[in-house]
Amino acid sequence: MVWIRRLYEVLFLGLFLFFLVITDLRYLKGWPVSLFLEATPLVAVATALSTHTIYRNLVWGLLILAVTMMLGRVWCNWMCPFGILHHFFGWIGNRRNVKQAIESNRYRKIYAIKYYILAVMLVLASIWVIPTLWNAPREIGDAYRGTSLSSTGLARVWDAVGLGLVRAAAAAKHDNATLQIGLLDPIALTVRSMTTAILPSVHKASEQVYTENREYMWGWIVGVIFIGLLVANWWIPRFFCRVLCPLGALLGVFSRFALWRIDRDPVRCTDCDLCLKSCEGASDPHKDLRKSECFVCLNCIEDCPHDALTFRFLPRKASEVTYPEVGRRQIMLAGLAGLIAFPMVRRSGLVTKNFQRQAMRPPGSVAEDEFLRRCIKCDQCIRVCPTNVLQPALFETGTEGLWTPIMISKMGWCELNCTLCSQVCPTGAIREISIEEKLGVGPFESKGPIKTGTAFYNHGRCLPWAMDTHCVVCEEVCPVSPKAIFTRIHKGTDRHGNPIELKRPYIDPVRCIGCGICEHECPVKDDPAVYCTAIGETRSEDRSLLLALVNDGAQDLVSLG
Amino acid sequence: MSEKLTRTQLKNLERLGGVNPADAPFSRRQFVTQVGGFAAAAGAAVAGGLYLRDRWGMVGVEPPPPVTLRSFAVERDPSKPTLAIVRRRDPGAEATGSAVDDDPAFRMIKAGIDALGGIERFIKRDDVVVVKPNVAFDKNPDLAATTQPDAVEAVIRLCRAAGARRVIVCDNPINNPESCFFKTKVGDAALRAGAELMLPKESYFEPLYIGGETITQTWKMFHRPFKEATKVIGIAPVKDHNLCKATVTMKNWYGLLGNPRNQFHQDIHGIISDFALMIQPTLVIADGRKLLMQHGPTGGSLNDVKVGDTVVVGTDHVAVDSWCVSRLLEKPRGEIVYLDKALVKTAARNIAAADWRPQWTVEVTA
Repeated sequence: MVWIRRLYEVLFLGLFLFFLVITDLRYLKGWPVSLFLEATPLVAVATALSTHTIYRNLVWGLLILAVTMMLGRVWCNWMCPFGILHHFFGWIGNRRNVKQAIESNRYRKIYAIKYYILAVMLVLASIWVIPTLWNAPREIGDAYRGTSLSSTGLARVWDAVGLGLVRAAAAAKHDNATLQIGLLDPIALTVRSMTTAILPSVHKASEQVYTENREYMWGWIVGVIFIGLLVANWWIPRFFCRVLCPLGALLGVFSRFALWRIDRDPVRCTDCDLCLKSCEGASDPHKDLRKSECFVCLNCIEDCPHDALTFRFLPRKASEVTYPEVGRRQIMLAGLAGLIAFPMVRRSGLVTKNFQRQAMRPPGSVAEDEFLRRCIKCDQCIRVCPTNVLQPALFETGTEGLWTPIMISKMGWCELNCTLCSQVCPTGAIREISIEEKLGVGPFESKGPIKTGTAFYNHGRCLPWAMDTHCVVCEEVCPVSPKAIFTRIHKGTDRHGNPIELKRPYIDPVRCIGCGICEHECPVKDDPAVYCTAIGETRSEDRSLLLALVNDGAQDLVSLG
Repeated sequence: MSEKLTRTQLKNLERLGGVNPADAPFSRRQFVTQVGGFAAAAGAAVAGGLYLRDRWGMVGVEPPPPVTLRSFAVERDPSKPTLAIVRRRDPGAEATGSAVDDDPAFRMIKAGIDALGGIERFIKRDDVVVVKPNVAFDKNPDLAATTQPDAVEAVIRLCRAAGARRVIVCDNPINNPESCFFKTKVGDAALRAGAELMLPKESYFEPLYIGGETITQTWKMFHRPFKEATKVIGIAPVKDHNLCKATVTMKNWYGLLGNPRNQFHQDIHGIISDFALMIQPTLVIADGRKLLMQHGPTGGSLNDVKVGDTVVVGTDHVAVDSWCVSRLLEKPRGEIVYLDKALVKTAARNIAAADWRPQWTVEVTA
C-alpha cells in the first residue's frame, strides 16, 4: 500500500511540475495547467463565500471534498504537491532515531492553529453576512410588498424571505469581503513561490526555463518563506501541513464524514508506539485515531509489528476522535480577529480613494473590489506572462493585495496580441478575454479596447522636449493603430542660435491602452520620460479618465467599483 | 481471532473481557447513519457547488440591474399656467431694512404655486416628497451660491400642510455633506419645518439608467430618497457658472450623481441636458431673490450677489431655466447650449413637459 501511495506522490508531484513548466507561451496550448489550483476545495469554498459563485472549473474542488468525506484527507499525502514536497523534505532531512521519531509525531496542541487560520480567512471572505442580516428585514419587507412575487398567503412570506435574503446578500457583496486564503493555500503558495523565486533562480543557473531572465521585485521574500517552510520539516515533521495549512484544516473538518479510516485492534496492539515512527499527520494511531489529522499515508499499517492497524470501512465510532480538537473560545477569537481585520485593512483607502498609480492590473482584470475577492495570489498569470511586466505586488494595492499581480512597465510591457494571463487565471480575477475583446475589434468595436492605464509625459526628462535631442522611440513602439503617441514638429533654435527642428511626442488619451511599452523602451531608463499610471483603466468607472470612453459601453462588466 | 496471540495480546483480550470490540462488524444502524450522512453531506456539497457554479465565468461580476426614475410630474391642466413669476411687492426692502413681512420666501413661493393651481394640485395626502435643494458648497446663504434656507422651509411647510407623509431633503454636495447642510442653514431649516435630511451614504447609490447623450447607459445615482418618493420638488439658486454659463434648476440635478462625476465637465451641456431625460419633477422653484451674477458657481463675495427679488415657479425645468438665464442672469439665451439640447432630446422622447415656451406664463406680485 505504501508503495502505491509513493507512486501516486511521484505522479502528482510530477504532474504539478509538468503543468508548472508548460505554463509558458511556447508549450501552453490547451493543457489544463490550472488543474491543481482548481482542485483545492479551499479555493472553491472561499470564493463561493466571497463572490457567491463558483468560477467555472473550481467545481473540481468539490470532487476532492467528496473524496475527503469518503476516505479522509487522502489529498494531503497522495495528491497535494506541497504536501508531497514536505514529505520528501522531511525524509531527506531525517536524522532522528526511532525513539525521537516516535516522540516527534505525537499530537501537539499547536496543530490546532490551522483551524484558527482557516476561521480568520473564511470570516474575511464573509463579512457581507453582517450587512445582509442588517438589511434583510427591509429587503424582505420590500419583496413582500413589491410586485415581483406572485404567491399569496404564507407561501408569499416564505418567498419574500428567500428573495429578500438573496437581494440583501447581492447588495452587500461589494466592498464587504477579501480573499486571503491564497497567502497559505498550499497550491497557490507553491505556484507563487515557484514562479517568483524558484524558477527564476533555476533559470539563472541553467538558462533552461525561459529565454530571457525573469526578475521579480520582492520575489526573494516569497522564496525565503517557501524554503523556510520546507526546512521547518526538520524541526517539526510536516510543520506546514500540521500547523498552518488552512486547506488541511478545511479537509480536517470534512473528514469527520469519512467512511474508511485507520483502526487499531485493541487486542493485537501491544502499545509499542512504533506506528508513530512515520506517522505523517500526527493523528495518534496508537490510541483513538484523530480522524481530522490523519493524512491516510498508511505508514502506520506498514510499521505495526503486530498487524494491529488496518484501513477499515466503518470501524467503531468509540475508537476515534471525530472532530478537530479546537477550543470554542479560540475559534470565536479567530473569527473576531477576521471581523476586525477586514475594515481596518480595507479602510486604508488603497483600494478606494487613495489607489496608487502603480496599481495597474493585467488586461481583463475585474474591478478592484471584485478582484480582491477573487485573486488567490497564485501568480500563475505572472508565470505565463511572456514579458516579465507582471510582478507580485507588495503593498501597492493595499495590504490585501500582497502578492497579487500588478504591471511594472520598467520590467516589461503588456504584449498587444496576448491574453495568456486571462486564460490561466483559475478564479476569474482576470476574466478570460479574447484578442478581439482586448483590442476592441470585431464584435467589441463599440466597446473599444481594454485599457489598463494611461501614459503621460514628463517634459522635464523627455529628450525632444527638454534637451534638443531627437528621439521618439515611444512613438515607434506604440502598438495601437492608429498610434496613441503622435508628434508635432517643433521649430526653434538650439543654444547656439542655429535653427533646429524636432518631433515632440504627445499622447492621445483616447487611443492609449496603458500597455507600457513606451515606458519600457524610453531611453531615460531610471525614471522614464513617458510613464504609465492606472488612471483611465476601463475595468471600472471609478478609475476612468475620459468621459467619452467611460460611458460608451467601454467599461468592464463591473461598473460599480 | 484464529491466529496465535502473544502473552501481551492475551492479556489485552482478558482486560477487554474476552471479546475484541474491533472484531464486531458494524451495525446496520451505524451503516445507515454514516453512509447516509456521507451521502447527504457529499451530495449537498456537490449539489450546492454545482448550483453556485458560474459556468460562463462572469455571472459573479454582472452589475446589478439599473434603476430608472418614474415621472413625478402631475398631469397638465390646460387651464393653468406652467410658469409663474413672482415679483416681490416691496423690492429692495431687505437691503434697506424696511421689510414689514418677515417671511417673504413663504409669501412669494406660495403665491407662485397658487398661480399654478395651488399646492393641492401637486401634493396629495400621504405623498412622500423629495425636496432637492442645491447645497453644493459650505457657504453662508447670503453669498447666493446655495439654496436659501427660508425657501426650503417654505416648500416643506406647504407640503406638510397639503398632507405629505414624509418630506425628504437630500443632496450630494461637492463639499462635505454635513458641513454643507450646516453652513448653508438648509439642514436646520429642513428639520425645523418637519422634513428629514438624507445625507449621501455609500449604500444609497444605485446605477440609474439614463440612456442619454453623455450618460449613454447608467451612472451611479443617489437613489435611496427616490425609492419611496411620489413627488419631487427642486429648489435652486440662480447662478452664474464658469463652464456652462448658468446654473438654475436643471443643473441642480447634478447633485444627485455619484462619483467620478467631475468627468462630466468634459461635456457639461451634454450632461445637463441629459437631466431632462433623467428626471421629470413635480415642481421646480428658482429662487431669484438673490442672484449670483459672476464668479459662479461658488462665488464667495457679496460683490458677486445682486438682489433679484424674484421667485420663479414652474412644472418644467427647461422653461424655468430659460426664463431665468435671460431675464435674471441677463445672459443671451443662445449661449446656454444645454437648453437647446434638452429641447431636442425631450422632443425625441416625447416628454411633453419640456419646452422653453411655457404654455402660459403669469406674473404676480407678492
